[in-house]
Amino acid sequence: MKKILVFFMILASVSAVFAGGSKESTSSEKTGAYTWILTESDDSILPGVNPLEVKGTITAAGSSTVFPLSERMIERFKNEGYSDNITLDSIGSGAGFERWAVQAESDISNASRPIKDKEVTAAQANGREPIEFRLGTDALAVVINPANDFASDVSLAELALIFSTAKKWSDVNSSWPSEDIKRFIPGTDSGTFDYFVEEVFNKDKEPILSAANTQLSEDDNILVRGVEGDKYAIGFFGYAYYAENSDKLDVLSIEGVEPSSATVDNATYPLARPVFMYSSANIMHEKPQVAAFIAYYLTYVNEEIRDVGYFPTAKEDLDKAKMNWMKAMEGKL
Amino acid sequence: MKPDIDASFFEKNLSKTLQTKELFIKGLLNFFALISIGVTVGIVYILSVEAFLFFSGGEVSILEFFSSIQWQPVIKKFGILPLLNSTLMTSLIAMLVAGPLGIFAAIYMSEYASNKFKAKVKPILEILAGIPTIVYGYFALTFITPFLKNIFGNDIVDVYNTASAGIAMGILIFPMIASMSEDALSAVPIGLKQAAYGLGATKLEVSTGIVLPAAVSGIMAAFIVGLSRAVGETMIVALAAGAGSNFTFNPFKSAETMTGYIARISGGDIGYDTVDYNSIFAIGIFLFFITLVLNIVSQKIIQRYREIYD
Repeated sequence: MKKILVFFMILASVSAVFAGGSKESTSSEKTGAYTWILTESDDSILPGVNPLEVKGTITAAGSSTVFPLSERMIERFKNEGYSDNITLDSIGSGAGFERWAVQAESDISNASRPIKDKEVTAAQANGREPIEFRLGTDALAVVINPANDFASDVSLAELALIFSTAKKWSDVNSSWPSEDIKRFIPGTDSGTFDYFVEEVFNKDKEPILSAANTQLSEDDNILVRGVEGDKYAIGFFGYAYYAENSDKLDVLSIEGVEPSSATVDNATYPLARPVFMYSSANIMHEKPQVAAFIAYYLTYVNEEIRDVGYFPTAKEDLDKAKMNWMKAMEGKL
Repeated sequence: MKPDIDASFFEKNLSKTLQTKELFIKGLLNFFALISIGVTVGIVYILSVEAFLFFSGGEVSILEFFSSIQWQPVIKKFGILPLLNSTLMTSLIAMLVAGPLGIFAAIYMSEYASNKFKAKVKPILEILAGIPTIVYGYFALTFITPFLKNIFGNDIVDVYNTASAGIAMGILIFPMIASMSEDALSAVPIGLKQAAYGLGATKLEVSTGIVLPAAVSGIMAAFIVGLSRAVGETMIVALAAGAGSNFTFNPFKSAETMTGYIARISGGDIGYDTVDYNSIFAIGIFLFFITLVLNIVSQKIIQRYREIYD
């Protein structure tokens, strides 16, 4: 009995090791023709895409912030007739680039921060010259429990205190209760974490990671649950996760500005940041379905983005993304 | 076991083809047995190599690894104690739940229950052991934690805490302990019990005074296997115990365990040459070492305390 149990325990751990280690084969099914291109287009720059004609699989991975938006676009893409498989993994921006640039396994990398130099180098070593597609803007939401009746607006300096050396709420503001601050933050592999550290701690990870009572997770739903369940909790993540859970969470104003489409559009909200998608010309040539999906995404993203909980980017940024697409596909269409 | 005389007798008299067939089957079975050993050796090898990289990188000393109470590899804090502490805490809580439950259930099944009842209940217990651990994880998160909050107060109990994870784990391993203890209790020779009954002992006296002491080695072995299962359990603690290292002895605070950390860090695709990546192997080999020691101890206990009545 015991031997059998031990054997199964070993077996289980072995299978876990193999599951983690196996590389997905990057099957490059060349469909050759660009039959999905329509003569008429809903976009002034990009060609029209007919999802019915798009064949072949697509793999995308990366930021959990971008995840809800990509999920929505994939849903729409499928509703309009795309019938193959798109895998979309929510693993964090850093992990997304690891998979796209270093391992060269995925076709598209979602990111809530721009690509880093060393990631560009890694991608080039794999023959992938990164192309950036700006998708929209996120207002990083700092959220608290609805039962929290003392905090509603914090300055960036207070925010830095809350997520680092302050042990109790009263350490930040003497009129706040003398209760431990429970922190729920995105994991170190996440673009949201990187962005927050850059904006609030001037790129120094030490203070935020040394703080007591800190839970880190790449899964934003774990953070939502944590803040939802504790009166003295605070956390931050992409605005979409707040929008989806606005009945369970309250959002803080930063420097007197509440995140909203008005404050993001006029650039007064201090924690607004761009969200991106990355791919490369050679991937788009080898797998035309990837090019089709990106073109479709960029064409219709503004029709969906507000509903998901993010904010449309300025027209010139989106146009630049579309021009990047046209440049990548030059001579192929 | 007595040497089997019959086998050699048949071997001499078997026909040639049958003998080769036997040899073939013997070889095949041998091969399968070797696979399991080979796999174990392979795991230990990989774990050792990667863990060696972790310690030889110059950023971590073994002394710091075992003495510092801060674990945060990204900012070069490498003390395994907070993770080890919460692993031990969740396991201890699990054993506090599973131990008494398991023994009582085992005594009831082997001494009191009718055969008909036993035949029905044992499979049900085994179903309990077959529930996927992720279900237990959500059970801990969405049932046990709110339950604890109701009893001890909302502000005392964290959303993620080691107590709820430990209790769920206790429920998970209790059938295993019950089943193994029941095997041990049933193996006690009937003559012993009959002698006690003959001397006028009651059922309770026989169960606790005769059967339990006679089966103690098997029960202790069951406990230790249960404990090593608890130490290695991942999904429940990853979901319910918390996602940040925390050196605390308060079971209502969140604290990440060793397995929870491995699960969280390897959840995304982390860079292969980073400290985070190597750190999970250092923790892995340490975990392996703990369960290995527990298994050796349980073997020794069985050998040492086994009461032989034949």
